[in-house]
Amino acid sequence: MRTRPGRHISALRVVRRPIAAAVLACGLLAAGVSVAGLAVASQSGRTALPAGRARPLPAPLGRQASAPRPTRTHVARPVRLIIPSIGVRTRLIHLGLTSSGALQPPASTSAAGWYTGSPRPGAIGAAVIGGHIDSLLGPGVFFRLHLLRRGDRVYVRRADGSLAVFQVTSVRSYAKTRFPTEAVYGPAPGAELRLVTCGGAFDYATGHYLSNVIVYATLARRHGP
Amino acid sequence: MTQARNAGRLARLTVILGLTVGLLGFAIPAASASKGTGWLRLAHLSPNTPAVDVYLYSFGHPNARIVLRHVSYGMVSPYEQVPAGEYTVAMRTPTASARSRPVLSTTVNVASGHAYTVAGMGPAAGLTLRVLRDRLSAPRGKVLVRVIQASMHQSAVTVAAAGTVLGRDLKFTAVTRYQVLSPGELAVRATGESEHGARRFRLAANSIYTLVVMDDSGHLKITRLEDSIGSQVMPEGGAQMGFGGTAARPGGPLLPWLGAAAAGLLAAAGAFIGLRRRRRPALHAR
Repeated sequence: MRTRPGRHISALRVVRRPIAAAVLACGLLAAGVSVAGLAVASQSGRTALPAGRARPLPAPLGRQASAPRPTRTHVARPVRLIIPSIGVRTRLIHLGLTSSGALQPPASTSAAGWYTGSPRPGAIGAAVIGGHIDSLLGPGVFFRLHLLRRGDRVYVRRADGSLAVFQVTSVRSYAKTRFPTEAVYGPAPGAELRLVTCGGAFDYATGHYLSNVIVYATLARRHGP
Repeated sequence: MTQARNAGRLARLTVILGLTVGLLGFAIPAASASKGTGWLRLAHLSPNTPAVDVYLYSFGHPNARIVLRHVSYGMVSPYEQVPAGEYTVAMRTPTASARSRPVLSTTVNVASGHAYTVAGMGPAAGLTLRVLRDRLSAPRGKVLVRVIQASMHQSAVTVAAAGTVLGRDLKFTAVTRYQVLSPGELAVRATGESEHGARRFRLAANSIYTLVVMDDSGHLKITRLEDSIGSQVMPEGGAQMGFGGTAARPGGPLLPWLGAAAAGLLAAAGAFIGLRRRRRPALHAR
């Protein structure tokens, strides 16, 4: 009667000590690994790249297009975009629609694109030009678009060498779920321009920005003859 | 005593005046900015009226905002974006000085977000300036079209396109309402009593047009005015224009790591205490 529990206890004691030692070792190992993980996790975050100031470019030279007549004057297709105040000078590629019916993003992050379904820049209506804010690695062609201010000039060079000169009227940011389709793509009575890029917070789960930055501009009046 | 009191009163009055002026100074530009802008364009649609100079004045300003020289039959100016408010449109003969009494003038009240065509219409003998209100939005995927009958030779003109009558027996100076059409190539036919005219136009979706029937030598001429033009297809939703290479990136989640570290330490501590406790009874037993 007395030896049995004694034997039982001694057997348990034999098993327990290595187990306790093993738990101790595993616990210390887990704590060590976790502290290392903590250190890595706290280092992987970063702040947004500051936009800074671009070196302003000189205004391009050329024949400035006059306001389009409602009886329709031919307007040549757009080939280049120049925004001196934010240092943008790029060729313009052509953008269509994605299979889901959204605006097709330019294939290159360093070139802007004119949406071919919108009026040509300088014709009656709002011409739409889109460009990436960034690539996976760094700034894109429209990285500094949000720095544009009312009155800044935007130049579109057309295939015939003429320049459509626009003046920024406003710069606004919208959640993509509340994109102002009518204001960007809807009918407009004058020659206008909409520049579109991304902005706001980046959603790492979907790989997309949550907002769009839109610059509204109208054709500048031609000075002199 | 009284002098000092007066000086104090004067100082107080100056402060109040200064504040009032300051507040007004802020209030005035804010009020005019909130009024918004509208659009205005000018047209000459009177067949037997020779070319005129058209002046646009903003109400109360003696200098013209724009002057269009030698505007002749059929000419329509581009839209001018103007602050909302009252404007005066005046017509003068091209030889007349800008200070002379205009042949004709009218006032237009431009409301924010609205567009207007001010057209010289009718025969030269009874020329009038009419203010037409232009539409700025069309049903999604559709076209809006209206007709202005500016032919003096034909007293009743019927305008039809692809089986749709845009205007029946339109008299000189008649303006129809806008009608909804499908976009695409449109064959328009204008039929008067003795003359007719036909023309094909491509009408873009999400756009608004005015067709003008005009006198030409021996036939009717149809011209198309672009009122407002939209994108032919409106893309769905926002645009994906970035890959996040410059975006802020949150650090990895810290809480699971913290939890794991705590659990590990707790287990180790427990095991350590267990080890120490069992050693003592073992010594006693010996």
